[in-house]
Amino acid sequence: MKWVLPALVVAGCVGYLIYASGGSAEYYLTVTELRSHTGGGYVRVAGVVQDDVLKSDGGLHVTFTEKDGTASMPVEYSGTLPDIFKPGITVVAEGKLGGDGVFHARTILAKCPSRFSTTPYTQ
Amino acid sequence: MAGFSAVLSFWAGWQENAVMVQVGRRAFFAAAVMIVLAGAVLEWALLSHDFSLAYVAEHTDLATPTALVAAGFYGGQEGSLLYWALVLGLLGSASLVASANLGVRLAAYAAGVLAAIVSFFLIVLVLVASPFDLLSVIPPDGLGLNPVLRDGGMLIHPPVVLAGFASFAIPFSFAAAALLAGRPDSAWISHTRRFALMAWSLQTTGLVLGMWWAYHVLGWGGYWGWDPVENVALMPWLATTAYLHSSQVQEKRGRLRAWNFGLVILAFLLVVFGTFIVRSGVVQSVHTFAISAIGPWFLAFLFVCIVFSVVLLATRADQLGGRAEPTILVSREGAFALQNLLLIGVVAVVIWGTVLPLVSGMVGQQRVVSASYYERAAGPLLVVILALMAAGPLLPWGRAGRAQGAIYQDGRLRPYARALVWPGATALVVLVALALAGVRSIPALVALPFAAAVAATCITQFARLGRRWVLLPSMLRRRRRRYGAYLAHLGLAVLVTGIAASHFWQQEKDVTLAPGQQVTVAGYTLTYLGAVERQLADHSELVGAMRFGDVTLEPARATYAGLGGQSLTHVAISTTPLADVYVVMAGANADGSGSFRIFVNPLVTWIWAGATIIIVGVVLGNVGERSAATEAVRRRIPAPVPS
Repeated sequence: MKWVLPALVVAGCVGYLIYASGGSAEYYLTVTELRSHTGGGYVRVAGVVQDDVLKSDGGLHVTFTEKDGTASMPVEYSGTLPDIFKPGITVVAEGKLGGDGVFHARTILAKCPSRFSTTPYTQ
Repeated sequence: MAGFSAVLSFWAGWQENAVMVQVGRRAFFAAAVMIVLAGAVLEWALLSHDFSLAYVAEHTDLATPTALVAAGFYGGQEGSLLYWALVLGLLGSASLVASANLGVRLAAYAAGVLAAIVSFFLIVLVLVASPFDLLSVIPPDGLGLNPVLRDGGMLIHPPVVLAGFASFAIPFSFAAAALLAGRPDSAWISHTRRFALMAWSLQTTGLVLGMWWAYHVLGWGGYWGWDPVENVALMPWLATTAYLHSSQVQEKRGRLRAWNFGLVILAFLLVVFGTFIVRSGVVQSVHTFAISAIGPWFLAFLFVCIVFSVVLLATRADQLGGRAEPTILVSREGAFALQNLLLIGVVAVVIWGTVLPLVSGMVGQQRVVSASYYERAAGPLLVVILALMAAGPLLPWGRAGRAQGAIYQDGRLRPYARALVWPGATALVVLVALALAGVRSIPALVALPFAAAVAATCITQFARLGRRWVLLPSMLRRRRRRYGAYLAHLGLAVLVTGIAASHFWQQEKDVTLAPGQQVTVAGYTLTYLGAVERQLADHSELVGAMRFGDVTLEPARATYAGLGGQSLTHVAISTTPLADVYVVMAGANADGSGSFRIFVNPLVTWIWAGATIIIVGVVLGNVGERSAATEAVRRRIPAPVPS
């Protein structure tokens, strides 16, 4: 099989590309885990939006507190928010924790419990 | 109702054991008819607002327009599985009718494999995800559909993409049947190809419709987010793209047999794997279905399918040898093989990105990749694939060119090398033009010239055809597949150009404007006129009017009071020849000013145009072509040559 050599070369290239680009993978943390997380770079932090949502600039700038079971952190974000964003939902903020203790998010992802269905009646 | 469904699965389960081909096939048809009946019952329950069914109550309400109530059929987990079984039943029946002349054993095994897959879905439908579960208390009204889904796109994108997803089972069944029957020759290829092509076309349409919908509805200015659900829909498409190309090598040269079986099987395994991943909730996605108990079932099914496929391929490996023939790298089949490897490489990149959260979560802290991972890892592979698309169709098959190294012969370029001059020159011209225009982004400088080269290759092929215009009708008739494929390639070049332009040169700006104030983004000037509040039947809308040239754009923010005040963006898009002006309303302020996010997306319309050309090319090249293709195959490859 003379395809083996080219196949290995391609596999090697793919492996290298995955390896090299995989370095950009971000840590996925809860607010509590962020406390003990060392190492810089962008991270994603999941937590529940608290009631102190403060929108300014027509909704293009927002600050709120994100909380999990034990810890909370202030989040600051500029841009359009997901449609379902409101206090009480779980969001994933992607960004960096600043020296001021505020998490500067560059994206906010809303975790819809489900996009295709709403809360079942049976519960 | 559940009892009724149980009868269905009994029928389907029973026929697996039926060795008698006719009985087995008729049992399959009967199962298909019953699934259709079950589907009709569910649809009727939806349309008649029978809220005693949990499924109806959870996915529709009285206020939803009728068309969307009907769409509720596939809007939820259970219904979409029933829809899946329905597609399998109908397409499966069609494929069994068409396979009548393939030989008794092959047809019987294909029916058996298909029936087994349908049975699995019916068992899941009855035991864990029945759309016919009754509620003890009948609610006066249902919960209704998520507002994001209350859109015309809901009527076309999900059914097409689900049908595409489901139909990958048919090529798989025939490949498995060919292996089971010990007939791994090319007869199954011509047969399977039609269904693979159909699945591929459905999936292409479904993917593009999904992109179109996301772009027009979600309001983030993009169309592809590398979300797990998008990824799992893309992977079988990539594997099938590879198969559609490599199967030609088997048709024309009798080679790559094991590889072709592998690809068809891989496409189906990716479908099952993807369904498991996104429906069990093991990977987070914006598309997540309600988490349900179907995860373990799909995992078990995936396991069974993998074991079945591997054992099958291993036991038949001896029959799968290709024709012994020296391999020439610079040849048509060489290009196909490399393209295949690269496509599988892209699949590997996408799989790794999709499962990384799972894998890393098992060994330590969970990690996720962002879109840049896919761009950096898959981008170079896709660029090489583009280069192959430009050069591959011009290369001669096998030794016909005796092409190893000798591009020159008697001081002249060989014909295939001369043909390469056009795409090469086009790429160079585009490269220089871009560089002169001040483009310095390396990915753009690589992707766009190659896309232009692909287009040039296709156009020179059509031009050659045009020169021999006397023969045109007969050439077009005899080589339909070929010219259909060139048209599809041309469409892809257009699509890639659209993706590249909108990806590299998208501009966005967040602004807050007082009425009468202007903003300019990428040379497009918009004037804010003011905002008004409108009250509609089930929601209220805050509409911000924006003057753009002669048109008034009306981006809006809707609020659904009935759904806990959920808000929804209505994007306003104005399409100009070069770019889309895409305005998202963020909100209004007390002083009368409005806040917006404005995108300028270059050449997005090229994506939709390119996709349309691809589908037109595939349809023109293949619909109704069936007998000719089968004959050609039989003529060229009379019998498998033992090696």
